[in-house]
Amino acid sequence: MRLTIISKINYTKLLFAASKTSASSLKIFDRKTKLKQRNWAAAHPDFDVCQYVKDEIGYRVADKVFDLTKFNDIVLDLGCGGGHIGQHLIKENVGVLLQCDMSEGMIRKSKGAPEDELPTLRVIGDEEKVPFKSQSIDLIVTSLSAHWINDLPGWFQRCYNILRPDGAIIGALLAGDTLYQLRVALQLAENERLGGMGTHISPFIDAQDIGGLMNKAGFEMITLDSDELEIGYPNMFALLYDLQIMAESNSTIKRTASLRKDVLIAADSIYRIMYASENGYPATFQIYSFIGWRPGQKGPQKAAKRGSQNVSFKDLSEVIENPDKFVPSKK
Amino acid sequence: MKLLTHNFLSSSFLKNVKVGYPLVLRVSKAEVVESEFNPDFTKKMLQKVEYPVLAEAAKVTNIQNLEVPSELPSDWENNEAFLNVAYKLLNCINVVEGELECPETGRKFIIRDSIPNMLANEDEVDS
Repeated sequence: MRLTIISKINYTKLLFAASKTSASSLKIFDRKTKLKQRNWAAAHPDFDVCQYVKDEIGYRVADKVFDLTKFNDIVLDLGCGGGHIGQHLIKENVGVLLQCDMSEGMIRKSKGAPEDELPTLRVIGDEEKVPFKSQSIDLIVTSLSAHWINDLPGWFQRCYNILRPDGAIIGALLAGDTLYQLRVALQLAENERLGGMGTHISPFIDAQDIGGLMNKAGFEMITLDSDELEIGYPNMFALLYDLQIMAESNSTIKRTASLRKDVLIAADSIYRIMYASENGYPATFQIYSFIGWRPGQKGPQKAAKRGSQNVSFKDLSEVIENPDKFVPSKK
Repeated sequence: MKLLTHNFLSSSFLKNVKVGYPLVLRVSKAEVVESEFNPDFTKKMLQKVEYPVLAEAAKVTNIQNLEVPSELPSDWENNEAFLNVAYKLLNCINVVEGELECPETGRKFIIRDSIPNMLANEDEVDS
């Protein structure tokens, strides 16, 4: 079991670095290891049972697609993993789904959109490199894979480039408070056992940094959202086991090669004392969702002007009793 | 790999590649997957693809009895016969084994078991 804790990466510093030097030199994650982890997880017999976090977030991202009023002909799922978004898409919103992931194991296994809804096209490719033609995609969706991307500023730029004008990107990635209980338990255990601390949980991006990066890439009408999922486990080892099979094991470059048994057992006790309740050991997954638009001729360009509203909150109860009053007439 | 996929792939992430499109297609094994003609799908897709690239790729697959115009006919929206052919090109031809070659560097990407592999080594990639 290999997990390491690193202090949060300050992406604002990275933004300034990106404008002077190439951000390429800053490699935090070892993508080769991540590829091996994903291939291994895809081949694991318990794979389907451990996808609950990704399934839930994939569903939420797919749900956001229904909120878009326009029809999206070409939809690209970057970092599709086991295919968590595709299964919820319908032909009323989507023309064709392209799935891209660097792991062959994941791609060959990935669930696509239902056959009778729309075709699913699969490509094995590094989702960080985005191997697609410029201005060819109508909608990019990405769920819980962007937190392993090294060059986030470049990635947002590449996503912007492949989008058609009026195209959008809807995504979700893991954020700072994810697995804080595990992080603290391991830190304290290592401190007690070994007299120092290693790095076991990967660094995550800050909310304000995502907005900044998207802005720099050219996206407009950026919306950011934060959500928390708390899942209970019977013990810390169950959590670690599930994380491995979700292919979310640590793959930062500066990670310690091993985690000693005595540290793990100590961490489990600390976790239990500090956080456990009758629901078991809670593990928090904090998710940032973002939506951004590439400006174009049509589509939502600007937010509505202040004071331009024509309904009032005091009429809220009427929305339920008399919804037709508020639906714009389609004449 | 359906020909529709090929229409969107680019090798622009490789070093020294400006556009990286279209990728040169070579086919060792292709098959035809029959499915019901869907006119709406065809019309929508024809507006989003580069038709000449699609036509060129179709020629490479060398499917029998398929008349592929090399350019989009001006009356394509109402030309039932053409739409039928276009649907076949978009959704019914599957390249099982083959390769895609970057037009600028010659780097080859393999298509195996119907899925193209666009992964490249670290030293070949920009940043």
